[in-house]
Parts: sequence; C-alpha cells; structure tokens
Amino acid sequence: MASFYLRQRSAQSDLETPESVSLSEVFWEEEMESLCSSKVALRTLPYAIMDKRLIRDLREPDMVKASFWERWKKKWRQVYQQLLDVGLRLTGTFGLWKPDLYEIGGLFGTGIQSYFTFLRFLLFLNLLTMLLTTSLVLLPLVWLHSPSPGPAPNISYHCPTSRESQLSMNQIHLHLWDVFTGRAFINTYLFYGAYRMGPENDSQYSVRLAYLLSPLTCLFLCFCGTVRRMVKGLLHKQLLSKDYRPRLSGKLFASWDFCIRSREAATIKQHSISNEFKIELQEEQRSHQMQQQSRKQRAQLLLSYVGLNMFIGLLVVGGISAIYWATKFSQNHKDESLSLLLQYLSPGVIALVNSLGPLVFGFLVQLENYPPNTEINLTLFWCVVLKLSSLGMFLFSLRQQAVLCIGRSDLSSCEPHNYNQCDQCWETSVGQELYKLSIFDFFLMLAFAFLVTLPRRLLVDHFSGQFWVWLGREEFLVPKNVLDIVAGQTVTWMGLFYCPLLPLLSSIFIFFTFYVKKYTLFRNCRPSPYLFQASSATFFFQLVLLLGLLVASVPLIYVISSIPASGNCGLFSNYSAPWQVVPEAVAIRLSPAAQKVFYYLSSNVIWYPILILLSLTLTVCISQSSANKKAIKGLRRQLLWQVREKWHLVEDLSQLLQDSRGPDSWGPRSPNSQSSHPRSFCPGFPCPGSPKPRLFTAESTHSQESQAVLTPYGEEAT
Amino acid sequence: MGSSTSQLSKELLSEYQELTFLTKQEILLAHKTFIELLPPESQNVVDSLTAQVSRVPTEKVLTLPELKANPFKDRICRVFSTAPEKDSLSFEDFLDLLSVFSDAATPDIKSHYAFRIFDFDDDGTLNKEDLKQLVNRLTGTEEDTQLSPSEMNQLIQNILEESDIDRDGTINLSEFQHVISRSPDFTSSFKIVL
Repeated sequence: MASFYLRQRSAQSDLETPESVSLSEVFWEEEMESLCSSKVALRTLPYAIMDKRLIRDLREPDMVKASFWERWKKKWRQVYQQLLDVGLRLTGTFGLWKPDLYEIGGLFGTGIQSYFTFLRFLLFLNLLTMLLTTSLVLLPLVWLHSPSPGPAPNISYHCPTSRESQLSMNQIHLHLWDVFTGRAFINTYLFYGAYRMGPENDSQYSVRLAYLLSPLTCLFLCFCGTVRRMVKGLLHKQLLSKDYRPRLSGKLFASWDFCIRSREAATIKQHSISNEFKIELQEEQRSHQMQQQSRKQRAQLLLSYVGLNMFIGLLVVGGISAIYWATKFSQNHKDESLSLLLQYLSPGVIALVNSLGPLVFGFLVQLENYPPNTEINLTLFWCVVLKLSSLGMFLFSLRQQAVLCIGRSDLSSCEPHNYNQCDQCWETSVGQELYKLSIFDFFLMLAFAFLVTLPRRLLVDHFSGQFWVWLGREEFLVPKNVLDIVAGQTVTWMGLFYCPLLPLLSSIFIFFTFYVKKYTLFRNCRPSPYLFQASSATFFFQLVLLLGLLVASVPLIYVISSIPASGNCGLFSNYSAPWQVVPEAVAIRLSPAAQKVFYYLSSNVIWYPILILLSLTLTVCISQSSANKKAIKGLRRQLLWQVREKWHLVEDLSQLLQDSRGPDSWGPRSPNSQSSHPRSFCPGFPCPGSPKPRLFTAESTHSQESQAVLTPYGEEAT
Repeated sequence: MGSSTSQLSKELLSEYQELTFLTKQEILLAHKTFIELLPPESQNVVDSLTAQVSRVPTEKVLTLPELKANPFKDRICRVFSTAPEKDSLSFEDFLDLLSVFSDAATPDIKSHYAFRIFDFDDDGTLNKEDLKQLVNRLTGTEEDTQLSPSEMNQLIQNILEESDIDRDGTINLSEFQHVISRSPDFTSSFKIVL
C-alpha cells in the first residue's frame, strides 16, 4: 500500500483541495481493483518492481492457504519457463553472429544492420537447401550402391580420353585452372552429368523423382519464407492510405535507434534524421505547388518523366544485348583456347554492365529535377531491372547455344558451335557456366574490397590534397550490396537443377562475405547520409529476392517440362522431358485407385472449384475491409464529438462552481482556451509519473468563453 | 559466472525473472554492472539490493557506454527512478530499465515507457512544447541540422494532423500507441542490451 499512496500524496500535497483528493482516491481504488482481479502477467504491467510486488501480494494474499493444486501448477509453470529459456538459448539459428550484429547496430544503426541480418537469412536458406538435397538425393544415391559417377559407358564414337588423365604434377596451372572453370569436377556429384541410376522399376526409392522435385520444393519453401518476412514490413508501405499510415509521426517517434553507442554514430544519425525531416517538408511543399500547376505544365512533366524512363530502358536493352553477344561469342569459341578472357568473358561483361549502369542511371536521373525520394526509387528500380534481366539473358543465351544440339543424330550442324559428341552433356556445361559466374562474383567482391576500397582509404588518409578530400572514403551503400547478394542467390537458384551442390558453395561464399563486408564497413567505409530504415529495407530486400526467385524458377520450370535431356548423361537420359518421370513413377508405384485420384487432381478440372473458392474468399475480404474503413471513419467522428462534449461539460461545471463559490475557485479548462495546458490522466493511472491536478486562476475572459460554450451543438459540429 | 551466482540468491533471481523480462544471465550481468557503479564501501550484495542504502546517482548511470550517446539519457533515468527527487536509481530501477529495453519485452510496455520518456513536462500528454523538444533532441544541436522555426511549426502541424485523432491539440497515450503500432521498426530499435 505504502509506495503508491505515499507518492500520490506527496505529488499532490502542494496543490490539494478536498475535491481533488477524493477524486484521485476513487480513481486509484478502481485501478487497484482492476489490476488485482485481472490475470495479466505481472511483467507486462508498466510499473516499478516494488509496485509489481505489491500487486502480486494483493492478488495472492495468503500463500499458505493456496491449495496443493495451485502450488503444483505454479511449480510446473516455473519449470516450463526455465526449459523455454534453455531452449531459446540453444536454438542456434538466432545465435550465429549475434554479438557481431549488435556491434554493427550499435555503431551504425539498424539500417545497415539489416543488410547483415539479410546475409544471415540467405546463409540459412542455402544451408537448408543443401540439407534437403543431400538427404533426398545424395544419401540415397550413395546408399543404394548405384554405379559410381564417371563418363558414360556406351560411347560408340571415337573420343579422346578425358583430359584429366593427362595431367601430371608439372601442369599445376592446368590443375588450378580446371578448378576455376569447373572442369576438375565434371565427373563428380557437383554437376548434373555425373548422376546415374538404373531404370525406375529396379529400386524402391526413386532418385530421379527426388532429384526432380528437390529444386522445386526448395524454391517453393524459399518463396514461402520470403513472403512471410515481406508481409511483416508491409504496414510501412505506400499501399495503405494516409489514415492508416501516419508517416511523419512514425518517423518522429520510432526513428531513434536506442542501441547506438558511439558518439559519432549518434551524430550521423541526427544528421540523417534532420535531412529526412527537411526532405519530407520540402516534398510536401512541392506537392502543394504541383497541385497548383496548370495542365500544360503537368503534361510536360509527365512527358519528360516517360521520356527519361524510355531512354534508360533503351540503355538497359543495349546492355543486355551486349551480354547476349558476349555469351554467344564465348560459347562458340569455348574449347579453342584456355585464355582467361574467353572463359570469363560473359561474367566479366555482366559485371561491367552492372557497375556502369547504376552510375549512368544516377547521373541521368539527377539531370531532371526530381524530389530526392523519387530519384532514389527510380535509380533503384532500374538497377534491379538491369541486374535481374542480365542474369536472365545470360541463362537464355546459354540455353540457345546448348539446346540447339541436343537429340540430333547428325552432328554436322553442331560443328559450327563446336559441340562435339563427346561433350553432349549440355546440362553440365550450363552448370559449369553458372559455377564460373558464382566464383567470379565472389572473387570480384574480394577484389573490390581489397584492391579498390582499401587503397582508397589508405590514400585518402595519408594525402590531404583537394582531390583526396573530395574523394573521401567509400560509402557503404546498402541497396547496392543487397542487389549484389541477391544476384548471387539468383545464380544459385538457377543452378539448382544443373549443379546440385551449388548451394554449399554459395553458403561458404556468404560466410566469408559477411566477414569481409564487416571488415570493409568498420575500417574502410563511411556511412551514407541517406538513412535506410530497417523495416522498409526488409520489405525491399524480400521483394528483390522474390523477383530473383521468379527469374530463376521460370526457366527451370520451362526446362523441366519441355526440353528433352541429353542422351547419354544424367538421370533423365531416356525421357522426353524430365517431368515425364512423374507420370511414370505414379504408374509404377501407386495402386490404380490412387492413380485415378492423382490424375484427377492434376487435371484441369480441379482448378475450377479452387478458383471459385479463391474468388469467394477475396470478395469476402474486400467487403470486410471496406466495411472496416467505414466503421473507422464513423468511430473517429464519434471520438471527436465525445471529446468536445467532455470539454464543454467540464467548462459548464467549472462555470457553475465558479458562480457558486466566487472568484477564488479553480477548475480545469478546455484546451481551446487561451491560457491553460490541456490535461488528461494517463491510462495507467495511478503511475509514478502521473499528472498533478493544476490550479487555474479564473480570468476575466472566462465568462465570455463560457457564453460561447453554451451555444447548441449544431454550430460546433464539424 | 560461478562466483556471482552465489551472490544473488535463487529465490531472488526467480522473483526477478517473474517480475521482469530478463533472463538469468541478463540479471546477473546487470547486477555486476550495477555494483561497479556503486561507491566502494557499498559494493557488496546486501547493500546493493537495499534501495534505501544504495542508489546510484543519475550522473554515474549516464557514464554507462550504452547510455552515453543517447540524447534521451536524462529522461530515461528520470522515468525509471523511484526516488522522490528522481535523481538516482536503485538496483530494481536499473532492472526495470533493462527489462523494458530488452528483446523479450512486449511492444505495449515499450510504447508505454517511450511515451513517458518523450513527455518532457510529465503532464501525461505530448503537447506542442514536448514535440518541439523531441524534434530538437532528435536533430541535434548543431546549426545546420536544426530546423528553422517555420519548418518546425509546419512539422508539428503535420504531426498533430496525422496523429491527434480527438483534435484536442495533444497526443495522449492511446494515440501514441496507435502511431507506434503502425511502425514496425519500433520494437527493434527501442532496445538497450548490456
């Protein structure tokens, strides 16, 4: 009892009048009663520890009299809580790199921290994919003692023996070179071509089915995980109207990172918050101005916007066709020489296009005078488009080269493409290209970190000329880094079918990328002045990841369902398309009744009821949401009315009290009167910071105002 | 951690676990940190837990690295202090502070305390003066980051228009919590971990 009551007393001692004490006592008693009777967990109450102890004692006054059952339940709850604590600590997923992430958040804020959290998320995606593939495909394959991986046994053509047998210890360059081009691993489980299996009827477990379904399952699971994470950040986005998204207030109340520990980071954060506010205010003024523009000006603006976008689109198309030609050229001359340029020509061109593109886009967009938010969004959009379409085009051009030769008996038409019969495993060559791209991306990232950023920092620190001051250290641009990592993940997903162990490689690369990026951030970079808020960042990352997933899955589904596999390597050599394994497996393994069910489910007829159900659900959701909107509008109006009514009544009351007592009365005043502060009780009343009632002296204007108050409501309503 | 486990009794630890959102490790670490802030003569377990004897004055708490760079550090100490003059923290106040700022705390309790921290004049609502001071703390004290008076007025006007639902010129706790519920970042940025 003591702490609450004493505090209230001391707070009010200087301003007491009899009415105020009894009023506050009444409130206090009511509050205490409701707290004691509710079953809310103590730790969620917003009071100090000694008050919570008090409430706990009031709730269960006599521990002795508690029944055996109650005590046992309490003990059991404690044990359960302890188990939960231990379990949470042991879940490794949230434990990896946790101290590093805290450190980064403390020094640089949660925006940059979200990039590193995203890296961790991708690492786990890749490890899970790897786990799935290994357990479904590799282990059964090895366990079932299938023929060991090796070149195809029944080559009837004259082929030179494989080059690996000619290597000797002297040719160490060739050895290392083979690792980088993937040739050293051609006959291992890394690539598609090495998987072999007897006919379907022979074994219980269909490795073919597993091999086919595991990339599809992985992609589907990644899709679900990404969408789930994306929805969490959806509230922040412009999809919702102004009523639902208090943008400025959210920025004001929620933008400070309380985990920042260093003075410099705090200063930088303050700068960026200030910039944001100024930009928002400018944008608002700008939109006011724009609304007052004439139609002609608006048309001009729209035209210039469309023109700019078309021009950038043309540039993107130009970049992509460069990639196409480069890939075609390098594929045509693939085996002629081992020169560095040819082997890595396509990854090189992709990297070049993707680094020049953003610079050009940024420059062009800045020529027009757009508000900063639009500039950033536009540049980002085109960068994403460029990156993903370059990967898509790369895959497409690979397929053009590789697929043209499959399944043909006369090989003369393949000669121009230098596609001799011993190399007829086009899936392996596609896998090789993707493997090379993956390795190239990783080494490019390392090269940039150690050969560009580090020297730049050293030079800027040691020299003090005008140029060096202008150059400065490199900025850590979160969007650019995210795009790079998403591109790498897209390549991994593209290669799931051709190169099943690629996720393992990818996980190793991501693991090292984390540490390299952390080193770069801490030592060689300065944070960018543009704040990248964590929630919008999460949404953006997941969206780009989804787009990458789409770019990866569409070709995969096309290849699986329509393109015949190569004739003498891999698991699907005798099928017209890899997907044909599924009907065959169904025919072999399921009973006739189950087969019938399966055919029914996979036919087109099943989609009609599903479609009807979906449209019904959608209609219900939409009508519910519009009904909710109307209800919210009505409730807001009601709230406004009731608050005004409350203050009118309060003024009436104070007027009456004043009339009955004379000039030295007190009373609360409405917020619209000139000289008072509005007051309210905080809903957690009584609480240690609860408001004190204030004494107001009556003023001469008060009588005039009260006249105004007594007018009927009709004139006051909005 | 072996020696410090014997310092706080098991019942006390489980009581604190019941009353706050902290785990056992966090409570022990908090105790260790708190003891280092006390003057040398009261650096033992019994005294550190008795609120009457040992309270750490706010100035010393503000030297902690987690709070040093925070523009709201004085408000944080003031809100969590249960001393009559609100100028010192006992161990239990310190635990309360860490509990509200921990990972496991509910968004409700975080928003409640955030409201109290931003309420500079302690009157239970955020009026224009509170908001102005909040903006100034957020943007810093340098010349080029401060907003001009006209910008400030425009900003406050916009904010009140967005979030003051009952149009009384101030933002009360429910309106504040309504705004916070629309900002998904809040829970992850309103965190202090030792």
